[in-house]
Amino acid sequence: MKCARCLLRLQGLGSVVPSARPANRYAYLLQSTTGPVLTKPLVAFNSHGEASRHFHGSSAWAKSSPPPSDLKEKEKEIDKSLLSRDELFERVARDAKTKAAFDKAIEAFTKRDRRRRGHVEFIYAALQKMVEFGVERDLAVYNRLLDVFPKEVFVPRNFIQRMFNHYPRQQECAVQLLEQMENHGIMPNVDTKVLLVQTFGEKSHPMRKYQRLMYWFPRFKHVNPFPVPRLLPSDPVDLARLGLTRIANDLDAKVTVYQMPYTDITETGEEITLPHIVGTQSPDQVELLAKHDPSRPVFVEGPFPLWLRNVCVYYYVLRADPLPPGEKVEEPYDPERSLYYPLQLSLELERDMGDLGDAFDVEDLDEGPVFAMCMTGQGDQATLNQWISGLQEGNAVLGRVPTLFRLDAGPRELQSPAGESHRPHPPPETDPWVPGDEGGAGAARQEVDVTLEEEPQHSRGVKQ
Amino acid sequence: MSLSRIARRPRAGLLGCIHQQLFLNPSSLPGGADTRPMSRVPYRRPGEPKDNRPPWKRIKFDFAKGVEGVGRQMMLLKKELLDPLVGPEGKPMLEHMLEQNRVVWEFRGPECLEQWSVSSDREIGGQSEAYLKLGRNDNTCLLYGSLNAAPPRDGETRYSGYCTLRSKQRLCSFDRKTHFDWTSFNTLHLRVRGDGRPWMINLAPENYFSHQKDDIYSYFLYTRGGPYWQDVKIPFSKFFLGHRGRIQDDQHHLWLDKINTIGFTLGDKVDGPFQLEIDFIGVCKDYAHTEEFAYEKYKRNPEV
Repeated sequence: MKCARCLLRLQGLGSVVPSARPANRYAYLLQSTTGPVLTKPLVAFNSHGEASRHFHGSSAWAKSSPPPSDLKEKEKEIDKSLLSRDELFERVARDAKTKAAFDKAIEAFTKRDRRRRGHVEFIYAALQKMVEFGVERDLAVYNRLLDVFPKEVFVPRNFIQRMFNHYPRQQECAVQLLEQMENHGIMPNVDTKVLLVQTFGEKSHPMRKYQRLMYWFPRFKHVNPFPVPRLLPSDPVDLARLGLTRIANDLDAKVTVYQMPYTDITETGEEITLPHIVGTQSPDQVELLAKHDPSRPVFVEGPFPLWLRNVCVYYYVLRADPLPPGEKVEEPYDPERSLYYPLQLSLELERDMGDLGDAFDVEDLDEGPVFAMCMTGQGDQATLNQWISGLQEGNAVLGRVPTLFRLDAGPRELQSPAGESHRPHPPPETDPWVPGDEGGAGAARQEVDVTLEEEPQHSRGVKQ
Repeated sequence: MSLSRIARRPRAGLLGCIHQQLFLNPSSLPGGADTRPMSRVPYRRPGEPKDNRPPWKRIKFDFAKGVEGVGRQMMLLKKELLDPLVGPEGKPMLEHMLEQNRVVWEFRGPECLEQWSVSSDREIGGQSEAYLKLGRNDNTCLLYGSLNAAPPRDGETRYSGYCTLRSKQRLCSFDRKTHFDWTSFNTLHLRVRGDGRPWMINLAPENYFSHQKDDIYSYFLYTRGGPYWQDVKIPFSKFFLGHRGRIQDDQHHLWLDKINTIGFTLGDKVDGPFQLEIDFIGVCKDYAHTEEFAYEKYKRNPEV
C-alpha cells in the first residue's frame, strides 16, 4: 500500500501547487517515499501513519505522468489481489474445508487492509463458499462476516443521507447476508443487531430486514404440528422408528424391531446382508385384524415414500379392501369393555333451527382398514414375508388369511378397488419418477415388478 | 414527421432541463427500482425469442370451436339468470344463511381436473416436474412429480425448485370473472394425504388496483405422511399477506368476499419426488374461533 500513500502525498502537493503541470519535475519524488521531500507536511496523518481521507486534491496531474518502473510492479501486485475475491478461500480450502479455515480466511482479509477495500465482493464470495465449508447454519460465522464491514463509515449523518439510500451497495450486501440467514432458518441474535447498528445505523435497510426476521421467525417457529427433529438419527433402525411413530397416527402404537441389520458370511465366503425390519401396530389395528374375515385376502402394498426433512424413507402397508356396503355389520359396543365411562352415548340432543351440523357433504372415502406398517432395508418379498411372520405372533388370523403382495415402483395411491386384486397390476402410464433418482439416505430399494402370489400357509414359519 | 423531429431536438434553457429530466434513465433511480408497468406482456423466459407478431395475427380462428363456445356461454348465461330466482348463489335463502360447511372443490371425475392448472419451475428453465391425475377410485386427485433445486443458468435466477397446483379463475357467462364469497365462513378445511413434505396454501383474492395483482395470502400445510388421511383446518385469520413471494410489512386480514383462486405450492429446497393427494377442499364456520387476525397491523417506522 505504499503506492497509495505516495499518491496521497502527491495530492497534498497538488493542492499547494495549483498549476497542474505534468509531474515530470516531481518524478524524483515518486522514487523516495520516505525521504523528507517536503519541509512541512501538508497532508494530515493520523496515529497509524496513514493519510486521512481527503478528496479535494485532484489526482489528474498524478495520473498524467508515466509511472516509473518500480511503481508498475507495485501496481501489478495490487492488481493480482484485486482479481478474484474467493482467492483467499481457495487458498485456505487446500488444507481442509472447516469452520476454522473459513474463520482464518475472514481474519486474513480483515487484517490485510484496515479500510477493507473490496469487502462487498469478499462478503458475496464468502456467502457463496459457506455451503462448501459447511458453516451455513452457524450464526457466529455470519456475525463475523458482518464484522468485516468497516464500522461507522456507512452510518448516515443527516436527513439527506438517510433519505437517499446511503451506500446502497453495502446495504444490499448486508441484506443479502441476512437473506441467506433467512433461507437457512437461522435466527439472528443481539450481536447481529449491534453490528448492524454500528455499521449502518438504525434506519437502514439491513436493520429493517433484521426487524422483519425478528418479527416473523418466532411466529413461524412452532407452527408445524408434526415437527421433525433437526438432527435425524443416522442409524436406519432409529430412523425407521421415528418414521413409523410419525405415520402411525396413534399414541398407543407399538414399534417392534423384527430384525436388526447384519452381514453374515457363509461357509462359501458369500456375504449375505440381512436388512432391518421395523414394524408398528396399534391396539386398534390389532382389533381390526382380529375381526377380519379369513376368507378375504390381505394385501401388502408398497413402497410408499415418507420424507423426514431431507431424507426419504419407504414404508409398506398391510391392509385389506373395504367390505361392500351390504356386508358391513355394526357390532354394538360391549358395555363391559369400559367400566369407568360409557363407550356409546345416545343423547337426545336437539339441534337449533338451521344448525346443520359439522358434517361436510362429501361421501366418506372408505379405503379399507390398515392393519400394520413397516419399514425395511430391502423391499423384496422375502423380507416382507419375514415381517408377516413376525406379525403373526400377535395376530393369529394371519396364518389363515391369504396374503397378496403388491409391490410396485412409482408414486401410488394407497388403495385400489377390490376388482383389481386378481388381475396383474397395470404399470402406470405416465410415470416420471424413476426409482434411481430418489435422493436422501433412504432404504436401498430393489425395483420389484408386479408380483402376485398366494401364500396361504404362514404357520410354517419362514424365518431363516 | 418534421414535427416529431422538432420535438426531439433538445431545447436550450430552462425548458431544456425539464425535457432532460423527463427522459431520465429508469435504472438510475435509487435502489435500481423497477419502473416497468405491471400490465405489460407476460413473463418471457431469458433466452426465448421475442414474440413480435402483430396482435391481429395472434388470434386463432376455428368455426367448430366457436359454435361450441357459444353454446357453452348460453348455458352459463341461463344458469346465471335462473339461479337468483331460487336464492343467493342458487340456494334457498335460509340454506345460504345458515350454511356451516360447504365443499368448494372435490375430485369426482376428469372434468374436475380441468379446473386446476399445474406448473413447476420448468417454465423458467428449471428441471422440476409436476403432474396431476385422478386417484385410482376417481375420488381424489394426486399431484406428483419431482423437484430439482438447481437454478437455471440464465444469470439472473438465484433460487429454484418449486411446483404449484393452482385452481383456474372461475368464469361465468362470456368469460367474465366470478369470485367465491366465503364471508359466512371462517375456516378452510382440507382432507389431504401427503408424504411428509411441507406445502404452502395460497389464496388469491380479487383486488382493485393493478399493483395488488400478485397479492397472495398464504399459510403452511404440514403433511404428516403415512397411509391415513389428514384433516387440516386452517382459520382464515392465520393467512398472512405476501406479494410475489415476499412477506409484506403492512399486514391485513384476508377479505373473504371475493376469493379468486386457491393454490398449493411446494418449495422446500429438497431434491426428490413428491406426492400429494387431495380428497376435498371445503370451508366451514367454526363458532369457537373468534380471532380476527393473527398478526399485528402495520406500524410505520417501528423503533429499533
